[in-house]
Amino acid sequence: MALPTTALPFLTRTTSDNTPGPVASGYANGVGVARNPASNSNANTTTNNNRASLSSFPPSSRSASQMSQASRPSRSPQPQAQPQPPTTAVMSEIDRTSDPGSKSKTASTGTAVSSQHSSLSAGPRPYNPASSRPARKLRSQYPRGATENHVEYILVASFDIDRGPVMEHQYPVPITGDEHMLAELMLPDQAHVRNQDWTIFFLHKDSSQEEDDEERRAKDERRQRRRRKQDRAKGIIHESDDEDEDADEDGGYLDEEDDLDDDLSTDSEPEGGEGPPLIYVLNLVNTKQDKTVKRGAVVKAMAICTRHPFLHIYKPLLLLALEEYFKSPVPETLAMLFSAVNEMDLSLMPKLSLLERHLLQASDNRDLFVEKFEQMVQMRIAEDRGEGVPDQPFDASRSPPRRPGIFRSGTKAHIEGHSTYSVPRDTHEFESRVMYKGIPIPIKVPVAIMPETVGDFSLIKLIQTFSEPHGKTPHTFPLHPHLTTNGPNTHPIIVLANALLTQKRIIFLGHNLPSGEVAEAVLAACALASGGILRGFTRHAFPYTDLTKVDDLINVPGFIAGVTNPTFEHHPEWWDLLCDLPSGKMKISSKIEPAPITEGLVYFQQQNPVYAPLVNTSSSSSSSSGAAAAAAAQDLTGDTAFMGDILRSIATRVGERVIRAKWRDWVVKFTRIAAAFEETVYGASALYIGSDEHLETATEGVTKGHGYVWPDDVAKGRELAGNVTRIEGWRNTRSYYSFIQDVAQLYTVRPLKGLDLHHMHDRLRTQRLSPAHSKQIYFAFSNHVHSYDEICLLLSVAPESHAGLFYIALGLFHKERDVRVRTAELLERIAEHEAGQHWWKALSRFEKLAFVRIKREADLRGRLDREGSGIVGAVEGSDGEKRIS
Amino acid sequence: MGSGMSLPSFISKLFGSREVRILMLGLDAAGKTTILYSLKVHEQVTTIPTVGFNVETVSFKNIKFNIWDVGGQDKIRPLWRHYYSGTQGLVFVVDSSDRARIDEARTELHRIIGDREMRDSLLLVLANKQDVPGAMTPQEITEAMQLSKVKDKIWNVQPTVATKGDGLQQAFQWLSDNTKEKK
Repeated sequence: MALPTTALPFLTRTTSDNTPGPVASGYANGVGVARNPASNSNANTTTNNNRASLSSFPPSSRSASQMSQASRPSRSPQPQAQPQPPTTAVMSEIDRTSDPGSKSKTASTGTAVSSQHSSLSAGPRPYNPASSRPARKLRSQYPRGATENHVEYILVASFDIDRGPVMEHQYPVPITGDEHMLAELMLPDQAHVRNQDWTIFFLHKDSSQEEDDEERRAKDERRQRRRRKQDRAKGIIHESDDEDEDADEDGGYLDEEDDLDDDLSTDSEPEGGEGPPLIYVLNLVNTKQDKTVKRGAVVKAMAICTRHPFLHIYKPLLLLALEEYFKSPVPETLAMLFSAVNEMDLSLMPKLSLLERHLLQASDNRDLFVEKFEQMVQMRIAEDRGEGVPDQPFDASRSPPRRPGIFRSGTKAHIEGHSTYSVPRDTHEFESRVMYKGIPIPIKVPVAIMPETVGDFSLIKLIQTFSEPHGKTPHTFPLHPHLTTNGPNTHPIIVLANALLTQKRIIFLGHNLPSGEVAEAVLAACALASGGILRGFTRHAFPYTDLTKVDDLINVPGFIAGVTNPTFEHHPEWWDLLCDLPSGKMKISSKIEPAPITEGLVYFQQQNPVYAPLVNTSSSSSSSSGAAAAAAAQDLTGDTAFMGDILRSIATRVGERVIRAKWRDWVVKFTRIAAAFEETVYGASALYIGSDEHLETATEGVTKGHGYVWPDDVAKGRELAGNVTRIEGWRNTRSYYSFIQDVAQLYTVRPLKGLDLHHMHDRLRTQRLSPAHSKQIYFAFSNHVHSYDEICLLLSVAPESHAGLFYIALGLFHKERDVRVRTAELLERIAEHEAGQHWWKALSRFEKLAFVRIKREADLRGRLDREGSGIVGAVEGSDGEKRIS
Repeated sequence: MGSGMSLPSFISKLFGSREVRILMLGLDAAGKTTILYSLKVHEQVTTIPTVGFNVETVSFKNIKFNIWDVGGQDKIRPLWRHYYSGTQGLVFVVDSSDRARIDEARTELHRIIGDREMRDSLLLVLANKQDVPGAMTPQEITEAMQLSKVKDKIWNVQPTVATKGDGLQQAFQWLSDNTKEKK
């Protein structure tokens, strides 16, 4: 067990978060302690001060400050009590639509940088340093020399024929007070009937308040030490080490920059969540028939514990390592795997801002942000040559000097060149490898990961599983206002999404299925309801669990759990919605708690007597069930049409990314409708910020509006009526509260605070606007969208698959010349933007020609203006003729 | 499931086919899984320790027995209670050759039948492994398990050899004779 740790370069850790040290142990909700009477004899449950305390259940109560802690995979949690000054360049925007939809055309039309080209010899880029590249320093997601391990623990458990599941080894140190609990999770039900099975489960670090304080203190100390060091370097000598340096302003300024390298907090993007990051566990169990052993079989399981949500990358390694462990069941086998996986180098993977991640996820373009990868390599080569890190950002006017060594990975030039560094073929995936026993194992790590996306699941598979049986013989659900928003025949996937939004207890049952399949369904369900927008699902998800945990499970208010044991079906008191994977049927529990009549519901009905009968409440079942049924048939929520579109898209074989983006749109729409509902009913909503404050950007008229755009008031009233019950059901959930926190946090860092670009773009898209109104919107765009981040924001509301820049480019054909010129200027800025260039390339020839003409006219006009005003009238005339109206 | 023996559904309905939930428990290595698969496939199968549970449907004379076989290691015995609700018949399997653990078996049995959720269930004790020399007789098992103390329950002891299938027909005959028609 005790290997010399010095042999493992990544073993040194600095943060208290990872060091299993004398931190508070025990379980916030008592999980694991005295839960299983039979395990009480186990000494582990008594005193284990040297172990980090982990539980498979989230602590039952969290303080407000814990709720808003930033959490990010593989980073230490940052206490909320330290508000970070927003760095000006970093921004993000959560309320937006994006749809990766159809394949971007830019990949094929791209000339400068495209996957067809083997080398990255980009031509000189247009000079526009202000907006083409981000001002912030490009950093690695996982820098070289970082103290965080990729993998924190390796575990091995086996099924003992006398004692049941037991833990055999934990490396590098034991991680929990209740190893029996872990061993049970590692040996899923019915492991004996299949040779191999995968499971996934999550561990919650039990972080008490003291721990948070400790961390904060440690951080302050680090900061002070750093400041003193800098001061000393500047010749300032402090008389006492205890001196209060808070007032030392010039030291503090430098501090920020220094912090950039090791603190996520300065990143100032809400990484959200509630409490410390989860530890994700990927587990492989093998059953080997062996006549030589007692009772004929050996069942062993090996697990990798990591903070990376992309834990599926470790599958090939676990396969090899568990095989190895069957041959040599010693801790050294674990140590070998541990050092191999932690030597994986991801340091050339650039870190993207939240908005950049959104853009990348929503796009199928394999070249999007390829510049950043290239730049990472340039920086590395410079470092390797000892030149030091060149100044950031690169001056975009000069193409960085060509280095012969960088090629697109997998290309002929790359293979022939034997170069050390390469840029991924597809910027969505960073390619690395792990050397295990001399075998290089290729690994692909997703570059942009959305919150609540864990593992490699398929939304398409989940949707198909429950849609096909429904398509043949429609389900008839018993009515529940939160769930059956389209009446008894509500589509099961919508019932599931509603159940997730309103925090119901959801079970995925897969009798006779590998536990890996139920885990996948659970992870897919989390992503479905989150859309990368809402949080709080994975934290209460149990991708695989069994009867041993049921007593704790049913104490969790609202969960998503995967099980293979059909006994769960016999206990409707344990769940609200049971999703049976083999049959594709869903069941609403007979014991589900009825939806309460809430104030918001009553107010809405009082304020909108016209739409009140349409609201789908159980209370109205006697008086107006006819109206409610009719309302359901009318598809007030639009969900029937939405599911129809989803199923058609799947039938036409669109990719997973498209379906995920469509769901993301659905979730965004839901939150925007909820905001509109709250504003209508309660007069205010915390779901949108920026409507009524005095802001940097003075707004007027059309540009003042915000939120979801309906064609008219009738449409709005009907859609709200269809959504009232689930919005009211959502209003008291974890995902609702964390969304409010995210909105508030995002607001502090996002650009263009007073403007709702999404709203304005939607108005261009959905409403008939007078030329005067559309002029205001085009002017607002061109007046305010300048910087790199502002352009990212605009791109995010006009995703490539939602017609891209089409509605913005319509401004090129506006009645007024000013609008046309300003739009052309805006498009020029977008075309020079690192991401915007791909949007620009996707514009039609017709639009590009109009752009060129307008630019030429504007140039000519400028020249004429300088020469004298006499000829202007003539230009005006010709201008009028060319206009397309 | 059980297609080999079951009748087409309309005939089953005609003859009043019914479903009976059976829970099969016992100490580890008593032979539960062997009994289950002996009933299911009518031949001896080699079993390995059950991780969690097995469940199969076996048809016997118009009755569909839904049989749950739950792993018996002491650490996982506390889970047995989750299977109680809705159980119509408890089959408790005893390794008749394991004299050393017969008291342990008795304690477990009395703990199960003492549960409120099991009060309406039948009790069938299978004195398994009768082929092992020196195995306890059904009479010895009855005494060792203190079945005479069980007053509020219909119970029976059936000698079996699971690996050969001996005694299983009689066991399920008794179960089908004694399970009530569902109201």
